[in-house]
Amino acid sequence: MEERERQFVLKRFSEHYRKADIRVPSVEQREFGIGGFDRKIEARHMEFGSDAALQNYLIRDTPLYISHSVAYYKFPKATPMENKGWMGGDLIFDLDVHAGLFLSREEQEKVRADALKLADDFLASDFGIKKQYMRMVFSGNRGYHIHVRDPAYRMLGGDARREISDYISGKGLNYRSFFPLSENKWRPEGPKESDWGYRGKLCRAVIKAINEDPSRIHRRLKKMEEAGLLKRGIKDGNWGSTSIKDIVDRIEPVAKDLPVQCIDVDTGVTIDTKRLIRVPNTLHGSTGLVAKELRSLDDFEPYRDATAFGAEPVKIVALQEIPSQEFLNSTMEKMEKGEGREAPLSYAMYLVLKGAARLS
Amino acid sequence: MEFSFSSKYPFTSEAKQKVEGSSLELNDEIMERAVQRVVAALQGKVWKPVYLHPSDDLIDLGSYAAARMMLAHLRNRFLTNKFAVAEAKRAYKLMCEDSEENLGKLGRELGITPQEFEGKLALPVYQYASFSPRSVDYRLIFRNVKGGFVEVTRHEVIRLMEEAVKGRMESYKPLQNPPQIIRDYSKKLMVLVPKEAVLKMSFREGDNPPCIEKLLEGAKEHQNLNHQARLVLAIYLLARNVPVEKVQAIFSNLPDYEEKKTKYQLDHMIRRGYSMASCATLLSYGLCVADCRIGTPLRWKGKVEPWKKGNGSSS
Repeated sequence: MEERERQFVLKRFSEHYRKADIRVPSVEQREFGIGGFDRKIEARHMEFGSDAALQNYLIRDTPLYISHSVAYYKFPKATPMENKGWMGGDLIFDLDVHAGLFLSREEQEKVRADALKLADDFLASDFGIKKQYMRMVFSGNRGYHIHVRDPAYRMLGGDARREISDYISGKGLNYRSFFPLSENKWRPEGPKESDWGYRGKLCRAVIKAINEDPSRIHRRLKKMEEAGLLKRGIKDGNWGSTSIKDIVDRIEPVAKDLPVQCIDVDTGVTIDTKRLIRVPNTLHGSTGLVAKELRSLDDFEPYRDATAFGAEPVKIVALQEIPSQEFLNSTMEKMEKGEGREAPLSYAMYLVLKGAARLS
Repeated sequence: MEFSFSSKYPFTSEAKQKVEGSSLELNDEIMERAVQRVVAALQGKVWKPVYLHPSDDLIDLGSYAAARMMLAHLRNRFLTNKFAVAEAKRAYKLMCEDSEENLGKLGRELGITPQEFEGKLALPVYQYASFSPRSVDYRLIFRNVKGGFVEVTRHEVIRLMEEAVKGRMESYKPLQNPPQIIRDYSKKLMVLVPKEAVLKMSFREGDNPPCIEKLLEGAKEHQNLNHQARLVLAIYLLARNVPVEKVQAIFSNLPDYEEKKTKYQLDHMIRRGYSMASCATLLSYGLCVADCRIGTPLRWKGKVEPWKKGNGSSS
């Protein structure tokens, strides 16, 4: 990106921060890190005494990225890390999908559905975390962050967080172990609908599949009588109630869908107690979209609801082929490589920051 | 008569208060018992004191306190961990036979408070995840989890409490200016400890500085480490008294490993007494991966000598 474009981007970012409302819970106990055009974290060990001080910094010095620690520290700017005085940390979950230049409608749905599943079926239902402790945030790029500030989970170490992360992502899960082996392939005993944990989840998911899409398991389940037999059996753990002998094999696709698949476990976001995570309601330096805190994921569309710069027309030139895309409630036409065009500022900013276009 | 709650569980705050509130002073009887206690731990034995007189209760409690003071003075991770394991096993045995009242009291002290949820004995998830042993049976994913609780058995609760005891004893504050009697008996203790036991070291993550961990990881993954990396790794391991056979076994993971050549080179290093490269040298080799500020990898976690300000660069 040329210097002229960098200045353009940062000027617009600064203008945005003048009217933004940035609030970080316990801001004075957080470490902050900033990033620029080369790296998402270029400097860390920063601290701000108040939300106002943070916002002033964003207006005045305007980093491309800003993140805060999941941890609370006595001395946030102290180095090395051991001197900060760790006082616990939020539990953070990062969900995203690998996408091209834009998230497709299907990808948006997939990651949104997984975020809802994580919040409802795992955090609330399994871990007993109340909604008041959950903060749902669009990541500003390809997914969502869920910040959990339940005091009960605050002091968990890395290993304990890994257990929770593994549970949610289904790492090492083998649903067949829920069915005790017998000499026959006929396995009458299995999990019950009222069971806790994955056992109960499996039962409920199978019953749901029978109700909504029985052929996913076996076409014989389209018959009311057969479906009823199996559903009644599952309530008591009697999986042998059906005439489908290989029922345990047949439910594999349903079992595979039980964990949260979009959770990013490889990068250790949940496990790392000293991790930096994007400050909610700040701009994402790779998209120019707001990492927006959301009351509800229903009807949220990132390319409509997380834009920050409006529709003021700006001339851009495509550096690659850009597919047609819904943005700001309008259809942005496909652009060929080298093609110049006027585009709404939010869309232009997105393309420039993605390296797909330059300012004309 | 039997030992009091405090003597059975000498790591509790009640025990600490009892010691602080008593006129107990460190004397030879207590120190001798403390040394025996640590040596028993090293031998993998569970400490079984004999209760003959009411004063034994306080003396036994004192021996625990004295043992901890010696370990804090010696700052020997190997001894500390062995002691933690032995004391946790001892607590486990006592817990298995103890009353529900005492178990509840101890659980509250350790932060493990089982309760009934939907008619089942259960632990809050955050407690379970914090103290569950690292074995497949205890993995959260295989457990019955609901509403913030994990279903457990009484025996599992005790097992988690054992882990909590171990964790509590693995950490300690370094002892500043220990009494002379602690210094004297620490020396005696080290004489009694078999030399090879002290030299033993595990290769758990965190036992070595990040640069060495990375090289070990590389060797494990059969990466073709460059010459400097091999040299640094070999000298480090030998300096940490890892047997040459074990060093050779680690190098056998490398894709171009030649047994005779490696043995010759390791023997050569030992004969010539190669010294460990400084962190600055490692930085120049491109092998430094973190800002540890210890001067040389051998000072990791104060294993050789504490880092002094201005003494060397990062690893």
